[in-house]
Amino acid sequence: MTKKIAILLFALVLAPGALPAQNETTDALIKSLAIKVKMYPGDYKAYAGLGAAYLQKGRETGDSADYELAKAALSRSLDLMSNDPAAAFAMTQMAAACMAEHQFDQAYIWAQKALAVGSGDPSPWAIAGDALADMGDYQNAADAYSMLKTVYGSEDEQQAILYQRDSRMSYLRLVAGDAQGAIQLMQGAVQTATAMHMPAENIAWSDYQLGEEYFQTGDIAHAEQAYLAALRLYPGYYRALAGLAKVRSSAGNYRAAAALYDKAIAAVPYPEYAAALGDVYRAIGDSNKAQKEFDLVEFIGHLSGINKQIHNRELALFYADHGIKLDQAVVLARRELEVRHDVYTWDVLAWALFTNGESKEAAAAMSNALSHGTKDAQLFFHAGMIYADLDDSLQARAFLQQALAINPHFHPIYAETARQTLANLSTKTGSSPIQEAANAR
Amino acid sequence: MKKICLTATAFLLALFAHGQSPFRGLTPAQQQIAWSQAAIQTNPDKAQPYNDLALGYIRRARETGDNSYLNQAEAALKDSAKRVPGNLEGEKAHAMILLGHDQFVEALQFSRKLNQKTPDDILTYGFIADAATALGDYAEAEQATQWMLDLREGNIPGLLRAARLRVIYGDTDGALDFYSQAYQQIPPTQTEDQAWTLTQMAEIQLSTGHLDEADSLLRSALQKFPGYYLTLEAAARVETARHHYSQALDLLRQRDDGSVSLSSLYFLALTLDRAGDSTAASAYKGFELKALNATNEAVNANRQLVLYYLGRGNKPAEALRIAEQEVSRRHDVFTLDAHAWALCANSRYGDAKKQIDPVLALGIRDAAIFYHAGAIAERLDDHADAVRYLNQSLELNPESEVAVEAHDALAKAIAASAMASNKR
Repeated sequence: MTKKIAILLFALVLAPGALPAQNETTDALIKSLAIKVKMYPGDYKAYAGLGAAYLQKGRETGDSADYELAKAALSRSLDLMSNDPAAAFAMTQMAAACMAEHQFDQAYIWAQKALAVGSGDPSPWAIAGDALADMGDYQNAADAYSMLKTVYGSEDEQQAILYQRDSRMSYLRLVAGDAQGAIQLMQGAVQTATAMHMPAENIAWSDYQLGEEYFQTGDIAHAEQAYLAALRLYPGYYRALAGLAKVRSSAGNYRAAAALYDKAIAAVPYPEYAAALGDVYRAIGDSNKAQKEFDLVEFIGHLSGINKQIHNRELALFYADHGIKLDQAVVLARRELEVRHDVYTWDVLAWALFTNGESKEAAAAMSNALSHGTKDAQLFFHAGMIYADLDDSLQARAFLQQALAINPHFHPIYAETARQTLANLSTKTGSSPIQEAANAR
Repeated sequence: MKKICLTATAFLLALFAHGQSPFRGLTPAQQQIAWSQAAIQTNPDKAQPYNDLALGYIRRARETGDNSYLNQAEAALKDSAKRVPGNLEGEKAHAMILLGHDQFVEALQFSRKLNQKTPDDILTYGFIADAATALGDYAEAEQATQWMLDLREGNIPGLLRAARLRVIYGDTDGALDFYSQAYQQIPPTQTEDQAWTLTQMAEIQLSTGHLDEADSLLRSALQKFPGYYLTLEAAARVETARHHYSQALDLLRQRDDGSVSLSSLYFLALTLDRAGDSTAASAYKGFELKALNATNEAVNANRQLVLYYLGRGNKPAEALRIAEQEVSRRHDVFTLDAHAWALCANSRYGDAKKQIDPVLALGIRDAAIFYHAGAIAERLDDHADAVRYLNQSLELNPESEVAVEAHDALAKAIAASAMASNKR
């Protein structure tokens, strides 16, 4: 099951030295900066630029090796220049690289260091907030995002900072269960990005994020529009392809969904995309292809030490979703919880515990996942299943109804599981589950 | 305010705090020292961790007022230079150490050379500004500070230096605006930086007689960085202005629990004197002995010693000798003022006016300087200027440390002025 509203390392593209999105452009930039640092080994700016370019490359390809290259270049830049406001850029990039590698505490420290050199650019607050949000400290994340304002620079630069704030605040609203507020903020962010003529990838990301928020609230039509808008602006954008695949899958158009997931994986082989594609094949009944994708999930997840670190949660969810390596699912989820305490990590731990028959402990973890009021079909589905196993049919029904009310097509397989479980529970009490789901909407 | 300008709306001083840190309980400088030491363990061959360690010690010196940390910083820089001779960050840290030791001439020369090598380095301009300001070369300080702001709009080091220059140029509102802008940007983990900035703002409020505002800022500063010696000293000045001498003495004793400075010894003696405390004389004596020993040192209390000799010490000739010695080293507004006051006490009124006029021309608004200017003008029978300056002193800060003397002098100047008019 793919479920993640990504907080992106998005400050970077708005920071000094913004990078064009296309792979070829990034490759060319890396090449030219690599030559430059060879010619001028004392040029801290060139090293910082090279680090930023590798980071961009990592975002484009999902290859964690690029993050390590980014860190090496940034580290060299900071060896040359660290006690100066000019070092803030490299420090912010370092924070972003740490975020990409899920080293949230390190990301926070680097963001604070970037702020401490006093460059006058509030962008590091964005990464500080992102790190805090991933560590589950939503209140302080909101405080950090609220610092994203400036009176310096051009009007466009000031708008760019507000864009960073609003797009991130939108995510926090979503976590807090205020979907309408989240969507409003994201709509504003899209408008700002468009009005400012930001690079295509940035606008596309905003559209994609808006699509995710619509999808999460079950507004599939608007989600589709947003994903398509992203693809129009930035053809082949893997996030939007995967988003659109979800839309097609939710409409039962599995062939189209599979084709879109294939394209997304060809661009960036994220394990969650492979897992989702496997689920689509499973829904079609093509178990061979499904298994191939599931094998790919593990292969990607274990490709490198860093990948293991980055994809702990996705792998845990994958194992739990597919009933394999269940004990490992709990181990991975707990490992992720050591560095990340956001609602989705608690949710995955709860789900992994449930699949291991530890429903009581799962319920405790689930209460943490739901403690911020997040209205997410996946969370409610997991909660419903956990409480059903605990024979608390009242709670179970309430959660499952909520899951289906939010988005009746939240997953190609588990949406149906939710309906069936609800039906079984309702049979016991004599009411119609479909009617209840409709009422709940 | 001259050229240093930045279009900005005033920020509100919203207090923002979240103390996420793996080194909770350590000060920012101690954290930096711990991080650097860990980095040295990991990368013993790299220069930068040693530079970071040096910076940690330099920051610790500022946190505590204890300059012995600067020696540890020097040692770390030697280790850095062994690994990468002449590395920029190491040299910048060296400039900071020179400034910490009040070796302003050397710091200025060294920073100028650094600036020639790396003209886009913002902090190097800051070091030039620091040294030039301390030496009284305000034009150079202003130019360097403007470079800082031009290179990166709104950067904190630039704003802080610009604020300080605005004080010198008499634009206290503008200075508060810059300090406020800087404060807004300081992350909550940098508690000493926050406290330092709040204390500077409080000093401005105190100098303009806004005691409650100063008090409030200082309370915030002490919340940010408890026991901060600079804040305690400023808080003692607020209490002195309120004639709450026993509270002031408590604060000064707390301040001196850490590292005692010559100027804090003088302030303690002065406060004991104002409180009518019988130990004031011995406190003055203790200060005098230590300050005399340091007259030829870079870190000295020559200005305070001059003021002491012009007051309770009652040695105007000695005051002038020391003032002349100090003014040969630096000609910042406060040294020039002390020199002018010493000249006046030695009946060299014309020379005193020559010293204080350029100070006033900068636009500085300081109650003591206005009082001195008024008294000098009166001695020169320039009653109109005397009345004007003395009024400025009292209007600016009715609670200043010279307020009583300024009132007396004003009454005399007005009477003398009236008499002169009658004669005409």
